[in-house]
Amino acid sequence: MEEIKYLTNENTTFYKSNGGFIGLKSGETDYKRVSLIKAFPFSFSNSFISVRDKEKNEIGIIKNIDDFSSDTKLLFVEELERRYYLPVIDKINSIKEEFGYGYWDVLTNHGNKKFTIRRDNNSFINIKDKLILIIDVDGNRYEISDYTTLDEKSFKLIELML
Amino acid sequence: MKDLIKEIPSYIKEILVIYNVSLEEIELIAIGDLNFRGEFGKCYALATKSNLIIITGNNDNKNWVEESSILYRLDEIEKLDSDQLVSGGILVGLINGEDKILCRYTNTSMNDFGIFCRLFSKIKEGKILTEEDFKNEEMTIYCPKCGTRYEDPIRKICPNCFDKRAIFLRVLSYLPRYKVKIIFILIFMVISSLLNIIMPYLSGNIFYDEVLKKGENLNFYGKIGYFVIVLFLIKVISTIVSIIYGRINSTLAAKVVFDLKTEIFNALQRLSLSFYNSKQTGSLMNNVNGDAMHLQYFFHDGVPYFIVNALTMVGIFSVMVSINWLLAILTILPVPFIVFVLKKIFPRQWVLYSRMWRRNSSLNSLISDSLTGSRVVKAFGKEEVEVKRFGNANKNVYNVNVDVGLMNQTVYPFLFFFMGTSSLIVWGYGGWLVVKGAISFGTLITFTGYVGMLMGPLHFMTQITDWWSSCMNSASRIFEILDTVPEVEEKMDSISMQDIKGEILLKNVSFSYEPNKPILSDINLEIKSGEMIGLVGHSGAGKSTLTNLITRLYDIKEGSITIDGVDLKDMNLNDLHSQIALVLQETYLFMGSIAENISYAKPTATIDEIIEAAKIANAHDFIMKLPDGYDTIIGSRGQSLSGGEKQRVAIARAVLLNPKILILDEATASLDTETERLIQEALERLIKGRTTISIAHRLSTLRNADRLVVVEHGKIIEQGTHEELIRLKGIYFNLVKKQNEALKLQGV
Repeated sequence: MEEIKYLTNENTTFYKSNGGFIGLKSGETDYKRVSLIKAFPFSFSNSFISVRDKEKNEIGIIKNIDDFSSDTKLLFVEELERRYYLPVIDKINSIKEEFGYGYWDVLTNHGNKKFTIRRDNNSFINIKDKLILIIDVDGNRYEISDYTTLDEKSFKLIELML
Repeated sequence: MKDLIKEIPSYIKEILVIYNVSLEEIELIAIGDLNFRGEFGKCYALATKSNLIIITGNNDNKNWVEESSILYRLDEIEKLDSDQLVSGGILVGLINGEDKILCRYTNTSMNDFGIFCRLFSKIKEGKILTEEDFKNEEMTIYCPKCGTRYEDPIRKICPNCFDKRAIFLRVLSYLPRYKVKIIFILIFMVISSLLNIIMPYLSGNIFYDEVLKKGENLNFYGKIGYFVIVLFLIKVISTIVSIIYGRINSTLAAKVVFDLKTEIFNALQRLSLSFYNSKQTGSLMNNVNGDAMHLQYFFHDGVPYFIVNALTMVGIFSVMVSINWLLAILTILPVPFIVFVLKKIFPRQWVLYSRMWRRNSSLNSLISDSLTGSRVVKAFGKEEVEVKRFGNANKNVYNVNVDVGLMNQTVYPFLFFFMGTSSLIVWGYGGWLVVKGAISFGTLITFTGYVGMLMGPLHFMTQITDWWSSCMNSASRIFEILDTVPEVEEKMDSISMQDIKGEILLKNVSFSYEPNKPILSDINLEIKSGEMIGLVGHSGAGKSTLTNLITRLYDIKEGSITIDGVDLKDMNLNDLHSQIALVLQETYLFMGSIAENISYAKPTATIDEIIEAAKIANAHDFIMKLPDGYDTIIGSRGQSLSGGEKQRVAIARAVLLNPKILILDEATASLDTETERLIQEALERLIKGRTTISIAHRLSTLRNADRLVVVEHGKIIEQGTHEELIRLKGIYFNLVKKQNEALKLQGV
């Protein structure tokens, strides 16, 4: 069986390319553009991150991004934030239900947003504990990190869906 | 897309002025919804014949705050790609040999940027963009009527053009089909509600004031027997009316569901495969069953009940007003409260019931999951874990049952209390009026009777909006299927080809299932009549897609496919499909006997032909071993056949069809060596004299192929005989080497 190749601060150097991507020097090889893919996007979002080259072949796995220098970590966070773009809903202004669709108007950590979700089991998912993932008709994702911390009005709007 | 150019806001125009670019020069535009930092903002990608301009920023509160803007010369950009990330995408330009992130957007803009990149490459090649280019790309996500983007790209309903009234009218247009029955239902309902309205009057005013009361000019005093007979007769008539009404109504309900299901199922069969891929089978089943039921409510319960309830309410109230208007108004005083309470509870009740339904169904699926996997559960000794899992789900069901019970037991007494107050008002004020002599005792009794009768229709009216919206929702879904135009459509003047030779030619064929994910690009392939082609390549390389296109399960957008020199799109579909046979890895056998399954594609086959086909397919012997022979019922409720047996039935099916073109898609994968030998033997008999395209991962199964075609990332990389490709030492050579190594490892 193939063994896991862990990428560490010692055996690799990550850098930011001129084009805004992450580059990786590992031994003799210089990968100009690598992508970071989470193995457990919900359970361990900062650990077990697969680093892949442009052809999607795995170069190795980062066990935990905290093991890297703060500059490199920043680089990882930026790349992961882009790939796993997930606005966090802070407040729900309104939800209008009509004809099998829910029209949401929310305030997220990235600003105000209006979106539409289908009223089915795959659009409003209680991933774990108090974390809710919402997927709109275009496949965009939004998160409610802890529904118990929402303000009363927002909570009332989603209470019936829980 | 062209319209978007006209709508470019002034703040973007100002930036364009700085870059010396006029609006007329803009050929292409895509607007994204994020800025570089990932905030909801805007990013504009604009292309002219010589430049690409990217502008990002925010336009919160209508004020534009620019984040960045940059202009690239076209010759600086080698390539433009829209890269799909988990949620959203990035526009990546290959600039001076290095990939560069140009802007970000969510999935909402993904398709637009995909189009942008494709059309951009045409500009880069120096081609002039035509109306056709835009039309082909945009049709799928914009409403053809008003050009608005669909809220849901899968369910193409334009929020602007979606006219609820039109749907309602269209549903009503189904009524004339059942007009005789509906008219009868209405007549009987009106009669029955008139009788209902008369009853309290008879048993109140007439009975107490005329029959029981002494006095002058009272013709009915003491005629109790006579009166009871009248009441009895009315009851008899009312019962007969309701029986007739009920019988007509039940046949109507069944007929409506029957007609709708037939119509939806017919429409589903007519549609192309792409429709099935975009919808889940579950949701389709729901359409056929659930939505048809919902519409049944419309004809069965909705329209007649609405009319009758409205008539009853108006009728009762008019009678009450004519007897004593003040008492009538006082009686209906609590009505607004009752309506309010009903309106408040229903959403909550609906949610609780749907939660109950959801939890019950997840409990059921858990039970079936655990019981189906009982072998695994027992083997790992995980019975306790399963008991715990069940316990949790069961607790959830228990909780929601308690919630429903608690709510019902609190709300209904409350509701009955309000309803009761109506009676109290009648008893109180009415009693006082009786004592004063303003009204008779009989009138009081009549009123109390009417109060009780008002509650039913009232209850119905409060639910009418929910009922209406769920009916309209179902109707819109049904119409959506009925209205979907099949993508693969036969031309009016299609060419009939009864006897094709099987010469296939693919010219510059490109294809994608989804707009920005090309599966095949620029495929050129010539297959001679009677030739056997082996398609080789990694999973996902596009091999099966290629066969889907040749069988015209999907239509190509670029390039052409011809059979015997005739374009597939010009050919009669029936002629094409009756001369192409498919044998897949996963064979689907329908419910029915083995003989019926073999003759599926040729129902006119004689018994001799069926047995002969089974013999060629090496299926005859195993069929004869079954106690019921060719009459053995297979499919979901019948006897289960092994993978190899099913496969041989499928081959027999193909043999019987006697096709000119044969497509084998992993027909011998996942079978044991002996079965594979039997099937391989059957296939060799089948292949003789037919144009055959065979896809196989196990390269040894393609040893008889006249030519091997290697497909990689949607392109044909190599082709030739086995020996030629081995000498070439390319991808095929490596594949063979890898498989030989794997076989060695397994000790084969």
